[in-house]
Amino acid sequence: MHNVVTKSKDVTLLEVLDRVLEKGVIISGDMVISVADVDLIYLGLKVLLSSVETMEKLRGSPFISPMQEAR
Amino acid sequence: MKLYTYSIIDSSKQITEPIYGLEGACVYNIPYCDIGAVVSEFTESVQSKTEDGVLAHEEVIERLMESFAVLPVRFHTVFDGRDGILSMMRSYYKDFRNNLDRLRNKVEFGIKVIWPSDKIKEHLINTYKKDNEKVSIPDDSSNKRFIKKKFEEYRIDEEFEKKANKFIKVMDMFFSKFAAEKKLKKLKTENLLLDGVYLVERGKQDDFKEAFEHIKGPHTGAGFKFLFSGPWPPYNFVILPKKSDLLEDSEQKDLFDKVIQHQDLVGADKI
Repeated sequence: MHNVVTKSKDVTLLEVLDRVLEKGVIISGDMVISVADVDLIYLGLKVLLSSVETMEKLRGSPFISPMQEAR
Repeated sequence: MKLYTYSIIDSSKQITEPIYGLEGACVYNIPYCDIGAVVSEFTESVQSKTEDGVLAHEEVIERLMESFAVLPVRFHTVFDGRDGILSMMRSYYKDFRNNLDRLRNKVEFGIKVIWPSDKIKEHLINTYKKDNEKVSIPDDSSNKRFIKKKFEEYRIDEEFEKKANKFIKVMDMFFSKFAAEKKLKKLKTENLLLDGVYLVERGKQDDFKEAFEHIKGPHTGAGFKFLFSGPWPPYNFVILPKKSDLLEDSEQKDLFDKVIQHQDLVGADKI
């Protein structure tokens, strides 16, 4: 099922996360119920996946785009 | 009953084709006036907060995007029942309506450009030294050497930024021809020259992709890396007022007070 997202658009989870976690309609309704959980998952995923730039630094090698890695 | 929200759409009608979201639940539309909030019933299990959960969320929005104008909702936005959704829709209706009209038949593309900043800086330093090698300082005291060094750094940084601006201007000139709106971030880090998102009309997608290929070609051999992604739902182009602007009645104010109190309790006020 998820291959539809990743293969057809040739992108990685990082690109999805950049949008799904931070952008779009952000309303306060969610916080009423699950503020702590939302915060935890938000921080967890961000720390885990970091950014393109940080990945490059951590790897200590010339940049390979996530697009190339996905192939 | 908790309702997990995926998207606001420009229709109050029910979704005819079966779409399954988080936890495999069937999604449906909760109408409000002439728009709707697409949701699924949700038990808030731990399993939903995973990569699969994120991708399932995105996939539902992409399916909706095929038939409707969409305003994607952030991952893991959960309401406590239908009343909670309707209350939210009532508060934001005008803004949702404006956004849906503005974003109809448009999609988002992401473009990231990495450039070889080390090489570019090295080139700038060499050029600067070459241009200034004949300039001598009569009194070569440590203070003057320090000032000279700082001035050199300043000039090189300035040239570096000018070069970045020049590249971005050329690239953006091509992309902007086919874009309705854009958001550009320059030099988020020294290597990330451009992190841009463009809002493009569906009918101009091919032209936009062609412009990207046109730019990419001559630069790829020169150490530049390009990342192109899309078409996406227009995540980056949803414009909503700050929540304080929506405090029109005491009921909403009470709600937000409760949220803030809860945030204080869990120390999560920096979302």
